[in-house]
Amino acid sequence: MPSASANSDPTLPSGKPTGSTVSAALPPKGRRPNPRIAQLKRTWYFLSRNNLALVGLAILIFFGVVAVSSFVAGPHGFPDDHLVLYCGSYAGPGTQTYVPLSGSCNLICTYPSNGPPPSPNCYAVDQYNPGNVPPTLNLAHFSGGPLPLGSLTIVSDGNLFYSIYDGFVEGAQWSLAISVSIVVTGALIGLLLGSMAGYLGGLVDELIMRVTDIFLSIPALLLVLVTLAALGPSFSTLPQRVGLLVGAFIIVWWPSYTRIVRGQVLVTREQKYVEASRASGARAPRIVLKHIVPNSLYPVFVQLSLDVGSIPLLVGGIAFLGYHIFPTLYFPEWGQMSALAVGILPGELTACQIASTTSPCAFPWWQLLFPGLIVFLFAISVNFLSDGLRDAFDPRLRR
Amino acid sequence: MRMWIYIIRRLLLLLPVIIGVMTITFVLVSTLSVDTKLNAYYGPSKFGYAPTVSCSQLGLPGTNCTNPAYARGVKALGLDQPIYIQWLQYMKNSLTLNWGSTEHGSYASTNLIGGSTIPVTTVLSYFLPYTLELAALSLLLILALAIPLGNYSAVYRNRPLDQATRVLSFSGFALPGFLLAILLLLGATVLAGQFAQVCNGQSTPFFEFYGSWPPSGCLPGGQLPSWVGSFGQTSPTGFPTVDAIIHQNWFLAWESVKRQILPAVTIAYGSVAGILRFVRNSMLEVMNLDFIRTARSKGVPESVVVSKHAGRNSLNVTITVLGLTFAGFIGGFAIIELVFHLRGIGLLLAYSILPSPDFGLIFGTTLLFTIIVVAANIIVDILYAYLDPRVRLG
Repeated sequence: MPSASANSDPTLPSGKPTGSTVSAALPPKGRRPNPRIAQLKRTWYFLSRNNLALVGLAILIFFGVVAVSSFVAGPHGFPDDHLVLYCGSYAGPGTQTYVPLSGSCNLICTYPSNGPPPSPNCYAVDQYNPGNVPPTLNLAHFSGGPLPLGSLTIVSDGNLFYSIYDGFVEGAQWSLAISVSIVVTGALIGLLLGSMAGYLGGLVDELIMRVTDIFLSIPALLLVLVTLAALGPSFSTLPQRVGLLVGAFIIVWWPSYTRIVRGQVLVTREQKYVEASRASGARAPRIVLKHIVPNSLYPVFVQLSLDVGSIPLLVGGIAFLGYHIFPTLYFPEWGQMSALAVGILPGELTACQIASTTSPCAFPWWQLLFPGLIVFLFAISVNFLSDGLRDAFDPRLRR
Repeated sequence: MRMWIYIIRRLLLLLPVIIGVMTITFVLVSTLSVDTKLNAYYGPSKFGYAPTVSCSQLGLPGTNCTNPAYARGVKALGLDQPIYIQWLQYMKNSLTLNWGSTEHGSYASTNLIGGSTIPVTTVLSYFLPYTLELAALSLLLILALAIPLGNYSAVYRNRPLDQATRVLSFSGFALPGFLLAILLLLGATVLAGQFAQVCNGQSTPFFEFYGSWPPSGCLPGGQLPSWVGSFGQTSPTGFPTVDAIIHQNWFLAWESVKRQILPAVTIAYGSVAGILRFVRNSMLEVMNLDFIRTARSKGVPESVVVSKHAGRNSLNVTITVLGLTFAGFIGGFAIIELVFHLRGIGLLLAYSILPSPDFGLIFGTTLLFTIIVVAANIIVDILYAYLDPRVRLG
């Protein structure tokens, strides 16, 4: 039985259907396992033997839970964070006599770490609970203050003050939503255009693929950046800015999917089951939707899972090059937080060295470590998972 | 010769891509407001570029008068023409290297080219060699890492070395370029022992590894030699290290190379991952083919089988992948050049975005980056055809 030996999985019906006895060879209708469910089970079996993939999955689930819980908990004084850098004379905890920082304060706040700062100077204050965060943030010595995971201060770019912990929790929903929506939309467009190009062939194929080539030959980061730089000024509200960001990334993302899908469709199109379907009178939309698309989906899915992780990196890159998703206001996005932390570091270190000639400067390690670690963990766990998925989906790689 | 026909055919296929890229930038350019465009092309005007100005400014009676600068600019740029004429005009300008000029007093112009208004193509020609030198160094590093590591991880599949390269490639994918760059910069600075040096009263952070040249006050002669021109462009070739060697200035040649090592390592670390995986997979495929078994069975030593028989055959795939990853690789240059403050078109792009966008430079650098990518793809195709006769003859 040559065909049964290729199909050794016990969950699948292993009988060899011949001629008119097809229905007789199959198990009774009620007990027949759905082949797609069976395949899912098999995929999970191979995935669960891959430790790295499981670690990746666990980290992603954790991030997902953080995102969902912060979404359920609601915006946390968004878009104004509850922590604001203030400038003025400190009148003790609980008073509201602060003046928002207006550029007259220096980057370096040199006041004793326990006492009130001399006037005028800058310190972090929790707007809703002023007594909670005492102004012990001595930036000259880069003490992280009482906040979990420390804080991130961006004075030169619009007086932003990030609590890294809050940024992580609130940024989870934004980062995940932005990444997933970009990649899924890009993949859907790619699926549509790629299957059209691959199935129809001819002039349509030529046209779609040439346009794809054009988009693929512009470096992705630059195309996003140029689009944002050109269109950015005409988008002002937060939903618009986020929408613009997502849109600019989709412009970059669809071509690679189109190319992948087309390649896969070209292979799938020639399979016997497609031919059989066509012979039994199915029309093009049915063949494409029922046979070709489901069977050319898995490379798309692998690529998609890989790409989700790289979006925060690219958003960070864009922020690092100077494009702010939402300028002058607190916008927690993991990539952007990491980029801001890196961007302000040289200035901080230089100022610190100039300012404190007597006492040595401490290195603001938490500003680099925590936002960077979040982005890194997200990207690498996505990579682990998609590598595991690739192995689980592709029979040739299993062994 | 068949090879020439192949090359010419590839070059002809290039034309629609270039036109398409320019059309995309044209669409983006046409979303800009008229006064932004006029500023980018002609620099600031005494009356600004609003359509109307108050007549007292012009010394005329009435309240609202047509702005002469606006009218002249719109007419000269053809902004009153229908859109397809504008598109043709844009194409003509782009193809004749008339890419506009830098904005007077923009951030990029002030900090990198002395605040003057000069044609974008001139600026780019000054900055391009620096980027190309860095690209060459990074490419060298990538190949030197990816090919041996990929081969060995295929030969020693699922052994510790393979696992180690797997971790290396995953972390290369996942670590943001700017973060790795600043970590390397900090590490190297700590190792070098000096964070900032004050030269002529000007403090430079990361003194040893920051910028393409040492700060001029810290040089032996007190300033850069005369072959480094006013905007930092060098003569006669424009490539900094090459020029330093030509002028036999070994100190500056070493400084120039030293400042490119860390950026090249950063770039290589980020892009070696994908290429390494491809080398490994293609090597695995080749290792299972019949001619490898034949070679082994006739007693060829294993090292020769790996390096000569299999290695040579998996090289084709490597070159193809190199071409495909080149777009991603060169796109990261803006970030890396900004962190290390290396002169190059990436730094130019980073400086021209904020705080005041310089659209002439933004679109110029993008077009140039795209041309580099397309050119690299062509070179890769030709190399591929050269290495694999089936491509050009089949």
